[in-house]
Amino acid sequence: MSASSPSLEVATPERVALTLPVAGIGFRCMAWLIDALILFFFWVTAYFVFSLLVSDVLGLFQGLSGLAQTLLVLGAFATQWMYSTLVEVFFNGQSPGKRLVGIRVVRVDGSPVGLYESAVRNLLRAVDFLPMLYTTGCLSMLFTEQHRRLGDLVAGTLLVREERFDLDKYTAPAAQASLVPGSRVATASVSLGARDVELILAFLERAPWLEPEARRRLGARMVERFGGLTEEERTAVLASAPSTEGFLRALAQVR
Amino acid sequence: MAAPLPTFVGRRRPDWESLQGLLARQREGGMGLAELRRLDTLYRRAAADLAHAQTFYPGTDVHRFLNQLCAQAYAAIYQPPRERWSAVRDFFRREFPATLRAEGRFVAVSAAFFLLGLLLGALVVLLEPRGAELLVPQGVRDYVAQGRMWTDDILSVAPPNAVSSGIATNNLTVIIFTFASGILLGLGTVFTLVNNGVQIGAITALCAREGMGLKLLDFISAHGPVELSIITIAGGAGLILGQALIDPGELPRAQALALRAKAAVKLVLGCAPFLAAIAVVEGFISPGSLFPTWLKALLGLTLGALFWAYLLRAGRDTAASSTRLR
Repeated sequence: MSASSPSLEVATPERVALTLPVAGIGFRCMAWLIDALILFFFWVTAYFVFSLLVSDVLGLFQGLSGLAQTLLVLGAFATQWMYSTLVEVFFNGQSPGKRLVGIRVVRVDGSPVGLYESAVRNLLRAVDFLPMLYTTGCLSMLFTEQHRRLGDLVAGTLLVREERFDLDKYTAPAAQASLVPGSRVATASVSLGARDVELILAFLERAPWLEPEARRRLGARMVERFGGLTEEERTAVLASAPSTEGFLRALAQVR
Repeated sequence: MAAPLPTFVGRRRPDWESLQGLLARQREGGMGLAELRRLDTLYRRAAADLAHAQTFYPGTDVHRFLNQLCAQAYAAIYQPPRERWSAVRDFFRREFPATLRAEGRFVAVSAAFFLLGLLLGALVVLLEPRGAELLVPQGVRDYVAQGRMWTDDILSVAPPNAVSSGIATNNLTVIIFTFASGILLGLGTVFTLVNNGVQIGAITALCAREGMGLKLLDFISAHGPVELSIITIAGGAGLILGQALIDPGELPRAQALALRAKAAVKLVLGCAPFLAAIAVVEGFISPGSLFPTWLKALLGLTLGALFWAYLLRAGRDTAASSTRLR
């Protein structure tokens, strides 16, 4: 999370400030595409299921009583317009697309959206869509600090990101650490700040996907910087990637 | 002095995980009192942990994790009252008509714009017959030139329902757009109102000139009063948005807009079921000669009167007491 990325600050009655990361235009387009696909496939499937049951769909539609036909068309129209509002209200600000992308609609004070806010922001799609494909909405998102389209501005809502965190990395057992000769020395002699720990853990998390050369080089630099080892200890630790990373893990997870 | 990060995580993690579990239970609904108390305690602890992390471990994943956890718990605990089905009944019994009465002047202004358009369209066509070429769609003009109603022809080919559903979705789109374009400083709403007024006025005048006034009356009298009322109300809702933007009063514009939009959307949502109902009338009763003209006119006037009686009278006695309670 860089300092420049926009966020929503919420002051709670517990006197703790919450900082929620705001979802940008990319996340929102992605979520919209997924929702549009879902609606599209819903209609395609509905049509195919229907045509399996009834051989002559058009004939049946024309043969329907007038009231049934009107209700059907009204229903289809309502599905298109009410889909977003209903799913947002019932699934706590997340349509299926938003859930997949990991974003959520909230009010500007961080509380969940209600029926009225959701209805406003979704009815205003009529204007945000103008002149084509949400041009107005995208411009509004680009020029507002928290990436809100006109519907969000009117409803007093915005979209926040929800991330998945892996806390295991802090507490995962350092299995290989005991095999490494240097680890016991290091744990006694160095104490690291939270930032250093975070840096080492981030490296360990990504190490399996790094190029071997880069993995070795970065590992060596970490050991140089945080290790505080004697010459022969360092050579032993740097002998292989598992021993380097085992040492670093033991170093970061010292209690 | 702060404990090392892994120690902190290892010690506090069980509490965070049980808070996550409780939040999942809360979303499914049906928590006991004991669980609620536990949720409260765990939330306060997590908030304290967040404060701790903000001070000693800023910018770490733990900090971000706690931030998100507390945000979810905060949203669960400080929930606004949820809308339930009984609220829907209350909305139509009291809230919608009360909102309309409170925002009556916007609806009146909207009606004035619509009437202005109507007069403009009618005057232009009456004074300058060639103006119809500008204001009335080509298809409609062709029918009028042949002395027929454009609705007759569609009916002989397709059953009335095709017309009805087409008309209904078209009207819904106009209504939604009339409201939503209020965000363009109200200009979009004004344009839509005047534009629709001009078209209807011009068509009416053209029909009257060609001696088809009665035929037109026959078609529009059953649904016209309610439908035009609804367009006017949606226009009022759009003007509310415009007014909040132009003159936000003592609030910042964003806040004024969000606040006023709530009243505006109530007007639009309230109109939706009436619009669907009147679309059925428009599709089945208005076209064709199944019903005599006088019956259609009577029905239209009655529906219009009932609609406005509902809007102006419903929930009047309870409105005063309930606002005082708040």
